[in-house]
Amino acid sequence: MKALVRLYGTLPEHYPDNYPDGGLEVEIWENISVAELVELVQVAREHVAIVSINGMLSKADDVIPDGAQVKFFQSITGG
Amino acid sequence: MKFLRVNMTTQTVQWEDVPKKYSTLGGRALTSIVVNSEVPATTDPLGNENKLIFAPGYFTGTTLVNTGRLSVGAKSPLTGGIKESNVGGTVGFSLAKLGIKAIIVEGKAADESSFVLNIEDEEVATLVRSDELKGMRTYAVAEKLHAKFGESKSVTCIGPAGDFQLLSASIQSTDLDGRPCRAAGRGGLGAVMGSKGLKAIVVDRTGRVSEEMANLERFKQASKAYAKDVKADEFSGEILPELGTAVLVEPINAAGAFPTNNARMGQFKGVEKLNGETMAKLIKERGGKTKHKGCSQCIIDCSNEFVTEKGEYVTSSLEYETIWSMGGMIGNDNLDAIARLDFLCDDIGLDTMNTGVAIAVAFDAGYGEFGDAEVAIRLVEEVAAGTKMGMLIGNGPDAVGIHFNHDRVPTVKGQSIAAYDPRAIQGMAVTYATTPMGADHTAGWVVDQNLEAFGGTVEPHGPKGQVEISRNTQIHMAAVDTVGICDFAQSGLATDEGIGNVFTMMSAKSGLSFGEKNWAELGKTVIKVELEFNRKAGLTNKDDRLPLMFYNEPLPPYNVVVKVSDKDMDSTFDY
Ligand code: SF4
Repeated sequence: MKALVRLYGTLPEHYPDNYPDGGLEVEIWENISVAELVELVQVAREHVAIVSINGMLSKADDVIPDGAQVKFFQSITGG
Repeated sequence: MKFLRVNMTTQTVQWEDVPKKYSTLGGRALTSIVVNSEVPATTDPLGNENKLIFAPGYFTGTTLVNTGRLSVGAKSPLTGGIKESNVGGTVGFSLAKLGIKAIIVEGKAADESSFVLNIEDEEVATLVRSDELKGMRTYAVAEKLHAKFGESKSVTCIGPAGDFQLLSASIQSTDLDGRPCRAAGRGGLGAVMGSKGLKAIVVDRTGRVSEEMANLERFKQASKAYAKDVKADEFSGEILPELGTAVLVEPINAAGAFPTNNARMGQFKGVEKLNGETMAKLIKERGGKTKHKGCSQCIIDCSNEFVTEKGEYVTSSLEYETIWSMGGMIGNDNLDAIARLDFLCDDIGLDTMNTGVAIAVAFDAGYGEFGDAEVAIRLVEEVAAGTKMGMLIGNGPDAVGIHFNHDRVPTVKGQSIAAYDPRAIQGMAVTYATTPMGADHTAGWVVDQNLEAFGGTVEPHGPKGQVEISRNTQIHMAAVDTVGICDFAQSGLATDEGIGNVFTMMSAKSGLSFGEKNWAELGKTVIKVELEFNRKAGLTNKDDRLPLMFYNEPLPPYNVVVKVSDKDMDSTFDY
């Protein structure tokens, strides 16, 4: 099983290796949760505030389906 | 500190001592309190009795970073209620350094005449007749005034939209590079300035008046700690300099809250072409600037300079709200066209949000097609040309909706929503509906509570807790807009220690004790005064409603409608 993980904002700088432009192809397992995927990708959890799976907002315990495109976003402030 | 009272009818200026009751106020508190006490609420906003107030924040001019804000207030011709819109650049800091606590512009010059208020130093201000500037665009105005009065002067002016007294007219102000690209965009305050016959205010930037400060050492210490927090924060210290506010495009789109094609959808399929990551990459490749300093005293540098393929200047600063209003909202995924539209709005003196939404309503009503950037550019140009269609666009979404008899008009009190669909982030529904300002995102931005911590600390699609977080944020923001801290430097006050530094600075400057209770009191007082003005002006809780489209049309992809009840909306300011 695989997922494509894309890092937004300045998250690529927090990725321990060189982040490829098109995203990271990650081997995943059945019933892997969003929180587990964050750990697997090795971006410190405090840098990730919002995650989407196939374009839809997700919760920390949502399960990642095979072939999913997952986006990681940082904390935001606005106005 | 002084008040500078400018009478446009008699073309006289007068320096006044600041009444004691105003001594610990600044920014939004000052503009709103003066408007409420000096402007008859039922008056014609473009008439003789309305007043236009300019007030730097209470901390503006001090050593505290990111406090170069100037609040502008009046009765709004767009909403019919009170308005405060604030702007960065150099003007707020310069006025504070001249010891000017507020400029109060009253009366009205004779038709067709146009004036420039030249504030030469802390004692001399004159009105200079400048009919030749009437109808001129803001970049040309800034150039002419820099040539006449000095390159280093700060210029705050209106463009043709303000001269025509259109309801989306902004007041533009020069940034650190002297470009009139910073905007007090909302509420049609440019039309009020135009109605008075005031084309521009030129402010000397070399003032040295030291701020009134009860305990300078204490203030300095707290301001240093504050700056450290702003630098250390990931968003203000790392993300904003790199990507600017455009970083919001992707997460807000993922949340299905990026109003697209006049808010028919919550996600835009062209999002990757205009997100912050793409924008920053393009700017860098072309030799433009990210990490650009837009305002005095800024240590964040959220601004940018967008350039053409040949590296020629297009606009500064391309920000999230405009990428939305001139992008997704009108179905346009062409970043170059968005940048061009941003420049045109600054140059003609238009609120980019109200104008983009006006175009979106026109497209939705069948005039042009979503995604047609060329028609959008032509429509904005038509505002300056003064055509019939241009006048409609310049008067905003409501005017366009009435003309085309089209009821999908996403405004509250006549002012367009911003770049967050209230159905997908229901706390924004409360803020848009209830703020005395008309739909305004900065009045109570509750997006973080709705989305962060993996899907929000409140459920974004439900009503639970939304009134409370909007209320608390609105009260807090009324206080932030009073002290004049830039929204993006709020990282400095996000923790107990950080807000403690703000209380210390309040107390060190005023000589009074100041704590959490006083901060909340300050915010509540400001909102109370604003609500009082609006009630006197004839606005009722019926005006605190979102348009029906937000209750009746489920927004894809989450297919949600606003669920906060009218009764709950009406309880927002029960305090
Ligand atoms: S962060 Fe941006 S808006 Fe705020 S003071 Fe700096 S340049 Fe101006």
